[in-house]
Amino acid sequence: MTVLAADTWGVPGPVFLRWYLVAAVALVVGTAVYRFRALAGTAVADHGALGPQQVAYLNGGDQLAVWTSLGGLRRAGAVGAHPDRRLATGGPLPAGVTPLDQAVHHAASRGLRSRELARDEWVRRALDELRDGLVRRGLALDQERRRTLRRGALLVGALLAVGVVRAFVGLTHGRPAGFLILTLFPLFAAFLLLNRVPWRTRAATAALRDLRRRHAWLRPSAAPAYATYGPSDAALGVALFGTATLWTMNPGFAEQAEIQRQAMGAGGSSGTSCGGGSSCSGGSSSSCGGGSSCGGGGGCGGGGGCGGGGGCGG
Amino acid sequence: MSGPAGVGIGWRPEIAGFVAGLPGLRFVEVVAEGVHPVGPLPDGLAELRERGVTVVPHGVRLSLGGAEPVDPGRVAHLAAVATALAAPLVSEHIAFVRAGGLEAGHLLPLPRSREAVAAVVANVRRAQAQLPVPLALEPIAALFDWPDDELDEADFLTEILDATGALLLLDVANVHANARNRGGDAAALLDRLPLERVAYVHVAGGAEAGGFYHDTHTDPVPAEVLDLVRHLCDRRRPPALLLERDGHYPPAAELRGELDALAAASGHPVVT
Amino acid sequence: MSGDLAARQAELVAALVAGGPLPPGFAPAPVEAARRALRRKRAAEVARHWPLLAAGLGADWPAVFTDWAHGRPTVGSLRDGWDLARALRDRGTLPPLGADELAGREAASRYDGRAAPRPRRLPAFARAGGAVAVQLAGRVRLVRPAPR
Repeated sequence: MTVLAADTWGVPGPVFLRWYLVAAVALVVGTAVYRFRALAGTAVADHGALGPQQVAYLNGGDQLAVWTSLGGLRRAGAVGAHPDRRLATGGPLPAGVTPLDQAVHHAASRGLRSRELARDEWVRRALDELRDGLVRRGLALDQERRRTLRRGALLVGALLAVGVVRAFVGLTHGRPAGFLILTLFPLFAAFLLLNRVPWRTRAATAALRDLRRRHAWLRPSAAPAYATYGPSDAALGVALFGTATLWTMNPGFAEQAEIQRQAMGAGGSSGTSCGGGSSCSGGSSSSCGGGSSCGGGGGCGGGGGCGGGGGCGG
Repeated sequence: MSGPAGVGIGWRPEIAGFVAGLPGLRFVEVVAEGVHPVGPLPDGLAELRERGVTVVPHGVRLSLGGAEPVDPGRVAHLAAVATALAAPLVSEHIAFVRAGGLEAGHLLPLPRSREAVAAVVANVRRAQAQLPVPLALEPIAALFDWPDDELDEADFLTEILDATGALLLLDVANVHANARNRGGDAAALLDRLPLERVAYVHVAGGAEAGGFYHDTHTDPVPAEVLDLVRHLCDRRRPPALLLERDGHYPPAAELRGELDALAAASGHPVVT
Repeated sequence: MSGDLAARQAELVAALVAGGPLPPGFAPAPVEAARRALRRKRAAEVARHWPLLAAGLGADWPAVFTDWAHGRPTVGSLRDGWDLARALRDRGTLPPLGADELAGREAASRYDGRAAPRPRRLPAFARAGGAVAVQLAGRVRLVRPAPR
């Protein structure tokens, strides 16, 4: 092939490409293997030992842990919301609350809004404590670990940059750069994937999956009777199934406290698509009401006499 | 599959977790219209079946008391649900829920006339022909009487049961409500019913409103209803009793308390 | 007094749910109590299917529903609530929470007011009272909540 110009940077194309590919593969594979081992974590032996807020942190990070605390406190009547969207305390703290609960309750008494809670100093400290506990148990990754993992991604990014520069320089000098550009695409994809460092280990993911399966009755589409289950199960509902639980449990409070919708709707919860989840839906994927088996009549909720449902207000 | 036994509770998705946590539970009842016979059962029910808990499908929309012939499609659904749950029996009501193309949205009483007996018996026979298991019939609570009642409650019920051979699902709360609203002696009525045909018993709560006692299923069980349960068990203890609750679910401790009270009143073992 | 049981049952149901006249021979007070109980039960059932709409109306829910339902026999709780939500939307009195819920449902299913709603297969978006919802492959997302 006629050489029209000097090789870019004095290194011939094929040679550069060969070394580039070797470096890219080594870096990506090395980073991936390191990441795989780092994210393994320690298996959870005793599921009962994971509190709702810990589950929430593993599922949705800081913010979900805060909402979980808020949900439990709301169920216990300890917090409420003013019409102007500020939180309020509704009563004393119940017994056996976590440090995060105390911090959230204190913040509510100062009239913060729900989205400001995660920035409050006391709440931040409680969240750090929560995360440290999970890190010690091998379920979450601390900042140090995440930085290390991200460094691998940064190295891939640096290599990517080198490749881009070389391709650019080569093209402006009329050198072919087709193969190089071709390798840049998968490298870019690898960079994107490696850059997302989760905050939980695989052991935690398995534990979450197991918890969600065992607490399927707590999912919002089944319209659980939160009064029956109590504040800690309500908190677990928020932790496992996201803010849809708060909206199902108390739409008025969720509205006034400006709880974000559809956060962490994990497990494919359909949110409000089945409304209150009458017994007609029964957890199956049938249409809600109006289906032939549900008849055209109103509710399917039990027989009995000519009683009025939903309270007899005279 | 053995019949219902002991103290049970109505299974509802809203309290599925609570029901799953009752250690001594041996039977539940589920609203048949809420179960899809094809495909997987609702989570909680599948687990209960694995534990060996008896599940009885309870129909609410068949309208066996209607003058129109019962819809074979609805009976087929009930039969399919019974098969899917391996239930020992199914239950429905002596009532009608639709007429003249309108849905009433609730169970309405029949006139206690010979004509009505014939209509109910005809429908029950049609249903029994399609059902793989025995059928139990529940008499309902009603706030009003028809103007042309010929028979009294006990005779009306006994004639229907004799003609069809069906079992009796005795709702003690309904007996109490009817006595309160329309006069009569609840205990005396219980004495006249064919107690040997009782498959199981319903117990539910209600509340006073506007001068009437409403069988709401969303309130605690009143003391008078528990007294009737004790009276019934003195005469002839039923094999099983079911606590029916359809809404406004109270804290778990209160529900457990109601189940324990039912166990104490009936002499059956505690399930909580 | 024998006669056509079917016709008499139809008369009674009409009296209880469709505003028909009290059939002869029935005591008015208990039938009226039954009528009220049926209305309450129907309102409670519709609230279970439309929790955000009911929460948005708050303490006014029973009155709003009962007024709307007068003379309108039930067609099933889901459709009852849907018809009510649309009526409120047309009048401009749909609360924001109810608008969010209606938009979500309209995006998820096709409902012509006559037959049972059917799920939409194609992507769709719907608006109600200022709320905008989008549906893609069965997942509904509220992209803009109704203004409060």
